[in-house]
Amino acid sequence: MDPIRIDPQRAIQEATKFNEKLAAGLKTLRTLDDVDFGVTDREEIYREDKLVLYRFKGANKPTSKTPLLIVYALVNRPYMVDLQDDRSLVKHLLALGEDVYIIDWGYPDQSDRYLTLDDYINGYIKRCVEKVASRHKVDKINLLGICQGGAFSLCFASICPEKVEHLITMVTPVDFHTKDNMLSHWTRGMDVDLFVDTLGNVPADLMNWCYLTLKPVRLFQQKYIGMVDILDNKTELENFLRMEKWIFDSPDQAGEAFRQFIKDFYQGNKLMEGGLMIGDKEVDLKNITMPVLNIFAEQDHLVPPSASRPLQNVIGTDDYTELAFKGGHIGIYVSGRAQREVPSAIHDWLRK
Amino acid sequence: MIGTKSPQDWMNDWQALQQQYWNAWSDATRGVVQPPKVTTPWQEGLEQWSKMFGTSSKQTETADRLISSAKNYVGLMQSLLGAAAGKVPTGFEVPNWTDALRNGFNMPGMDALFKNNPFTKIFADMRGPHAMGFDKLPDSFAPFLNQMKQEGLSWLHAPAFGFAREHQEHYQKMAAAFVDFQDALGRYNALMLKSSQRSFEIFESKLGEHDEPGRQIDSMRALYDLWVDAAEDAYAEIALSEEFRKVYGDVVNSQMRVRQAIQQEVERMSTDFGMPTRSELNSVHKRLHELRREVRNGCSPESSREIEELRAEVRELKRAMAEREKAPAPKPAPTVKHARPPRAASRAANPVERIAATSSQKKRPSRKAAAKRATAERSHTRSASVHGHAPLSFADAIKAMRRTVAKKTAKRKPAAAVASAASKSSPILKRKRRHRTRSR
Repeated sequence: MDPIRIDPQRAIQEATKFNEKLAAGLKTLRTLDDVDFGVTDREEIYREDKLVLYRFKGANKPTSKTPLLIVYALVNRPYMVDLQDDRSLVKHLLALGEDVYIIDWGYPDQSDRYLTLDDYINGYIKRCVEKVASRHKVDKINLLGICQGGAFSLCFASICPEKVEHLITMVTPVDFHTKDNMLSHWTRGMDVDLFVDTLGNVPADLMNWCYLTLKPVRLFQQKYIGMVDILDNKTELENFLRMEKWIFDSPDQAGEAFRQFIKDFYQGNKLMEGGLMIGDKEVDLKNITMPVLNIFAEQDHLVPPSASRPLQNVIGTDDYTELAFKGGHIGIYVSGRAQREVPSAIHDWLRK
Repeated sequence: MIGTKSPQDWMNDWQALQQQYWNAWSDATRGVVQPPKVTTPWQEGLEQWSKMFGTSSKQTETADRLISSAKNYVGLMQSLLGAAAGKVPTGFEVPNWTDALRNGFNMPGMDALFKNNPFTKIFADMRGPHAMGFDKLPDSFAPFLNQMKQEGLSWLHAPAFGFAREHQEHYQKMAAAFVDFQDALGRYNALMLKSSQRSFEIFESKLGEHDEPGRQIDSMRALYDLWVDAAEDAYAEIALSEEFRKVYGDVVNSQMRVRQAIQQEVERMSTDFGMPTRSELNSVHKRLHELRREVRNGCSPESSREIEELRAEVRELKRAMAEREKAPAPKPAPTVKHARPPRAASRAANPVERIAATSSQKKRPSRKAAAKRATAERSHTRSASVHGHAPLSFADAIKAMRRTVAKKTAKRKPAAAVASAASKSSPILKRKRRHRTRSR
């Protein structure tokens, strides 16, 4: 039997309908205002260089005695966790009684080129953790690291375990040398010294181009064909554009921090192999003796599950929990399933 | 496709369908797009219409991407339907669809590089201010590369000498870097072509999975989505190969060498014009960061070392004190009752001083009794200083502990004795002692 059974008349109708939607929708695009993002009210707690530490304000007083600090990646903006009213990890955590803080790294410029991982982890993160702890008069706080921010949180929790009550990692790479990690595969042929010496800070557009080329047809063509289907739906279109805004609203990467991250994590795989130094502090994941919750996405093409799962074998605690989410690297924050499953999983685990 | 018409009937129908498409498109755009000849590529309509739309939009970037993707899509649809129109009566053959798909990516007027090579075309479409297909680097740096081509390639391997040898050598390096980059880019594009070819093979294979009733593909969109799956699978195969890793690294590295050579040229020209350069700014930023680190750490490298020495000394002292606490306490010495002069009484609160005071005021005892009493006094001193029963100045406590540590460590560990001796000469401790003396 023929695998294709397309009626020509229907095919023409499909094509003309596609064109009609496109024509009407592009007019709609012109009438849309700029999309907003970041819906939850927040207050500034601490500021240093381009970094700002925020505390989110929920409708009710937090019931949790231990605050939760979100450490986001450097490569995208942190408002992904609070994108819009019906897609907000933060909003759900607040509703469950958590007291949520977040580090906004800002946009590094050429004057930040010499910021190192030591500055980020033993400097910025440490001072933010201490600031949050001192506000709540506690010695330890809960840490939630996302993607690259998860790798940073692992380093911090290893260097300062006495400051972390619970550690949560989301879509966090630990083993960078698994066979399905395309990004890691590519970086291993790169001369990163030459790269950073030439570019200084790594331009955000270049980073985005690299991410798109992981799945070029799907991310650069099919996605926009699919967009035609929602062009007549203002709400859906705004959601789409909000996501586009987030994807391409990326900071440049501070050169020296990028250099070390590629060398030690992507090329050297030192979180697994050992020998990772952040400044003058050695990172030994066996020092991580606090309870750990590791959340990863089963369809993640940026951080495959195989890169996250090995965490359980290299940390020093037996109190380890895994959550495999059915979705991708971004869906884990913004999909409907994520809204139902992820915040409650984090909250329940913290309170168990 | 469905039906049993003759080829001519199908062609007539196809003409009519295309006319229908153009009429509908003209209606949708309210006449902006006039129906052209029916055989005109469908994407031409989008091209005409987008020119009108693209100049005044707030969402130009998104619209551009949308239209670019749509053009590829409708071109593909037209190709697939056109191919089907002529082939159906002879029965469905998978290679026909694959050929039609391949042709669907070959837009009229397309660069030969992109023929049968949708991947390379997609990469070429992906460009922005700081991110573009690797092939676009020559466009960005055209002025420099043209200069280099004119001046460089002819004497690429000639030895440099004379007054301008440094400049000549620089241009030679830049030319060599560019040749390397072009070579790497050629190998990269060859892999993209391989990936494109492989995508058609996988597409055929995936089509074969849809020949059961209920699994047949019945829309153009489903057919397109199937090709996307095939294309991504093919790309992943190539992109995860060792060969790709090597070629990708070569492209990135050689591109960086070209950029670096051009940056040096820009720096040279900036210097000629008396303008600040990136290198100069980098030096300033680097120094500033180093200074900030020192300030944030509260000290210079020298004083950091001193603090570390002091910390080591305190650790050693604490360790010694802990050892002394663990040691069994000697039996308490018999209390000696005697009258003290007022001055001695005031000193009695300080056990260290009391040792001296009592020994100077009493009559000289027998040697055996003196030794016994001295032991008792020392024991009392230790106990008081450790448990804080009597006030003891910091300097005196340090002295007392240092004496004890020096004795113990000299007996037990020669290395520790050396450390202890070194700590005695710590400049910071000395400074603190001096400060203490002055404040008194």
